[in-house]
Amino acid sequence: MSTFDLDIKFVRKLAELLKETGLTEIEYAEGDKRIRCVGAHAPVQQIVAAPTAAAAAPVSVASNAPVAAVPVVTEGTHVTSPMVGTVYLSPEPGAPAFIKVGDKVKQGDTLLIIEAMKVMNPIKAPASGTIVELPVTDAKPVEFGETLVVIG
Amino acid sequence: MTPSFFRIQELDVTASTNAVAKQAAEAGEAEGLVVRALRQTAGKGRLGRTWESPEGNLYASVLLRPRSITLQWAALYSFAAALAVHDAVLKACPEASLQLKWPNDVLVEDKKISGILIETAPVVQNLVDWIVVGVGINVASHPQEALYPTTSLSEQGASVTVDAILTYFLQSLEQWRQTLYYDGFCPLRKAWLSDAKMGPMVVRTPTGEIQGDFAGIDPKGGLILRLAEGAETVIQTGDIFFL
Repeated sequence: MSTFDLDIKFVRKLAELLKETGLTEIEYAEGDKRIRCVGAHAPVQQIVAAPTAAAAAPVSVASNAPVAAVPVVTEGTHVTSPMVGTVYLSPEPGAPAFIKVGDKVKQGDTLLIIEAMKVMNPIKAPASGTIVELPVTDAKPVEFGETLVVIG
Repeated sequence: MTPSFFRIQELDVTASTNAVAKQAAEAGEAEGLVVRALRQTAGKGRLGRTWESPEGNLYASVLLRPRSITLQWAALYSFAAALAVHDAVLKACPEASLQLKWPNDVLVEDKKISGILIETAPVVQNLVDWIVVGVGINVASHPQEALYPTTSLSEQGASVTVDAILTYFLQSLEQWRQTLYYDGFCPLRKAWLSDAKMGPMVVRTPTGEIQGDFAGIDPKGGLILRLAEGAETVIQTGDIFFL
C-alpha cells in the first residue's frame, strides 16, 4: 500500500463541510489518492462492550486501497440500517426468515432485506457469530442508523 | 443501435433474468451485462409477486456496478429505470398518454405497461457492489388479472418488436444512468415530475394505509404526500392506488 502526505488542514476542512451539510460521508479522490470522511451519525458498527466509543466524528484516511472504512469486529456487532426503508426478514412473504435469534451466521450471510423506492437491498453479516438480538419486525419501517441485528 | 456499454446474453427460457444476472454479478461479471429471455418460468415482481412471462414481451436484467455509491443512492436507480422504460414506450407509441407512478411504474392510458425489480448487493454495510435492474415490458400481451389494470404496446396499437423495445430501453438507460452518476438526481427528478401522475391517492404501506395528495418527490426520491390537515409526510415504501 502506498502512502501519501496527509494534508491535515484539508481533512479538517472536509470534516467541517460534512458537519455543515449534514451529509453522511464525503469522498475526495485525486489520481490514486483518496480521502473519505464519515460522520459520527453514519451507520458504523459499534462494539457493545465499548459504550464510550467515538464521540467525535471518525475520520478515516485511505490511500489507493478499496474503501473499507468500518472496522470489522467479531463480537457484539450492531448491524445498523444504512437507510430509511422497510425491513423484510424473509426473501418473500411466507418464506422462512433468513435468521432468528440463536442462529449462527457467517460473515457475508444475508440477514434481512431493506426496501426503499422499490429497490431491494440485502443486508449481509459483517462478521460471523450468533444472532443475539433481532429488534426489528418484518414488513415494518426502519430508520437510518437503527439497530437491525446484534451478532454476538 | 444498442450502446456499446451493454453486452446482451440471449436466453430462450430461464426461471428469472434477475436471478441469472445476480448470479453473474456474484461471480464477478463486469457491468453492462444484459440478460434477456424470450420467456421466464418464474418471473418475479416485488415481494415475490409473480410476473407472468409468456413469449412476446420483454424480460431483461441489466447489471450495473456504479463505483462508491451508497445504498440510499442506489434507490435512485428506480427513477433511472422508470425514465428509460418511459422513453422506450413513448418511442414505440408517440401518440399515447404516458404517466409515471411513484416510484417506477409507467402507465399508458392509466394502465400499467411495465414492471421493474431492482436488487442490489452491499459490500460493507452501505456501499453498493452491484445493482441489477430487472425490467418487464408488455409488448404482445398483458395479464388479465393483476393488482392494477394493465395494458400492452400491442393493445395501444404500436407495432414494435421486442428487440426494438430492448434497444430503445438500453439507449435511454445509458443516458439516465450516466446523468444520475455524473450530474446527480436533480435532472431525473425534474424529468420524472414532468410526467408524474398527480392527484389524490391511497398509499398502502407496511404500517397501514395513508390517504393524501401527491405533492412531489423529495431530493432522495421519497414520495411527498400532502395529508388532509395540510401536513406532509414522506413515503419510502408502499403501493399506490389513485382515487
